[in-house]
Amino acid sequence: MSHADLAAGKVIRMSLLFRVQHLLLTVLLTVLAITGFALMYHENSLAQWIIRLEGGVYNRGIVHRIAAVLLMANLVYHVFYMLLSREGRPELRQFFIGRQDIDDFFQSLRYNLGTAKEYPRFGKYGYKEKFQYWGASVGIVLISVTGIMLWAEGFSMRFFPKFILDLALIIHGYQGLLAFAVLFLWHLYNVHLHPSVFPMNPSWITGKVSAEWLRREHPLEYEKLKEEGLL
Amino acid sequence: MRRFVLGVVVFLGGVFLPVLAQDAGAAISLEKCTLCHGKSEFRKLLIGGAIRDLFVTGDSLKGSVHEKKVCTDCHFDVNEIPHREAPKRVTCTHCHFKGNKEGAPQSDNVLAYFDSAHGKAIAAGNTKAPLCQDCHGNHQVLKVKNPGSTVSRFKVAETCGRCHLEIYAVYKTSIHGVALSKGNADAPSCTGCHGEHRIYAHTDPKSTVYATRVSGQCSKCHGSIAIMSKYGIEAEQVATYNESFHGVASKFGSRTVANCASCHGVHDIRPPDDPLSMVNPKNVPKTCGKCHPGANPNFAVGKIHVDAKKKESGIIYWTATFFKWLTIGTMLALVAHIFLDMYGRTRRLRGER
Repeated sequence: MSHADLAAGKVIRMSLLFRVQHLLLTVLLTVLAITGFALMYHENSLAQWIIRLEGGVYNRGIVHRIAAVLLMANLVYHVFYMLLSREGRPELRQFFIGRQDIDDFFQSLRYNLGTAKEYPRFGKYGYKEKFQYWGASVGIVLISVTGIMLWAEGFSMRFFPKFILDLALIIHGYQGLLAFAVLFLWHLYNVHLHPSVFPMNPSWITGKVSAEWLRREHPLEYEKLKEEGLL
Repeated sequence: MRRFVLGVVVFLGGVFLPVLAQDAGAAISLEKCTLCHGKSEFRKLLIGGAIRDLFVTGDSLKGSVHEKKVCTDCHFDVNEIPHREAPKRVTCTHCHFKGNKEGAPQSDNVLAYFDSAHGKAIAAGNTKAPLCQDCHGNHQVLKVKNPGSTVSRFKVAETCGRCHLEIYAVYKTSIHGVALSKGNADAPSCTGCHGEHRIYAHTDPKSTVYATRVSGQCSKCHGSIAIMSKYGIEAEQVATYNESFHGVASKFGSRTVANCASCHGVHDIRPPDDPLSMVNPKNVPKTCGKCHPGANPNFAVGKIHVDAKKKESGIIYWTATFFKWLTIGTMLALVAHIFLDMYGRTRRLRGER
């Protein structure tokens, strides 16, 4: 953290590499959602319009698979980065779900309902962020595996009975829908519509958040940084 | 008395003269034609060695829709007896055109025919291509509803088969051909799939059996519960196809993707338990292998036409249902959480102030 940042009361929340990974994820998931749902809801006239826009079902498939390969590459890179890099390892440790997160969740519920006095105090990542992170990770792995099975349909048909492919198709489609719905509702709420960040949490572009925001929303992280003399 | 005789002559003249005049002018009487054509041995030896029967009697038109016509109504290019040249092929549109005075029935089918594969072939000079009379019959033209008609439901396949010999042979042993020969009126004959006058090559997008239109054509019967339930065949095969990769690709214009006929056959459609059927488990690897090189017997394992919305689909149905409720449940939980969070947050902010 530079002195200029400190003077302006800014704290780095996402490093450049994470921002690149996040941006890739955003763009690729959008492309995958548009091309995927157009096929899933091909009866719909809007979907039909989108498929025509993409140059027919054949080209739609190519666009979808290019985006999918890039997304999987992004995922693999992310896994290695989190496991092996100096920046990634402590990040991953902070993403582990522990007893504390479950307690935090129930405490926030109680607080929101009015039966608890204190709102839980989160570290760098609270239960909301962790749910989002692991949900997306599991979802992407599941959707990648089923997607590869469907892509290599000749290979899959030679080794699996057909119902496995039917199942893969169902899981691929519904998992996509679930992931999309969660992203749209939950993530957009947390980073755009939530009163503390409205209209947007700028960290995905600038990488920085205000120290004041950190103090309110992630007090444990704020205190940790203070102790370390980084604030 | 003189006056009376004169009167009678004038009266009879008035009655008969027009008839005589007509006979002498427009039409040549049947008797004149049958002078030659009425002999049973009257025939012509064609160049190829074939014999063309030219035997016609006064009974030739009897019972047909043209019962009241005479020879020269159709063979109108014959205006002297004996005619020096062979009369040209009969042109039905001589009478069957819109607004004709004869009252001959007319429909747009004539125009449709000229646009069809047969009509185009004729126009291109193919003498083997069929004209109206080649399918409808020449002297014995009957109404379609008449079972004796060459274009009636149960006889039209045989009529087409006069030229399309090999296809007819294949069709006859198919499930549709067998059912039709047993007098089953639900079974399609040639025209059931190809259309009647609007017959086009299957490579022509206008054709009812063009690659992207095949499933629509099959679904006319195979999508009907009323028809299919009679034979214990599922009526949703077309619907499940439309939902499959093949169906969706076909709907969006792919001409290389499989349609019904790619797997089930065209004229040789047989039930799956028939060892000759293309979808018999033994033949599935070969059938799928047409497009999916390396298809092995594992391709035949499991049901091909699956509807995830039906309980009969077992694990597929349950997985789909599970995901449906998981998604709905997650959505509801998240929405509830968001509203709670907003509510709690306002209180928190108020407290801080």
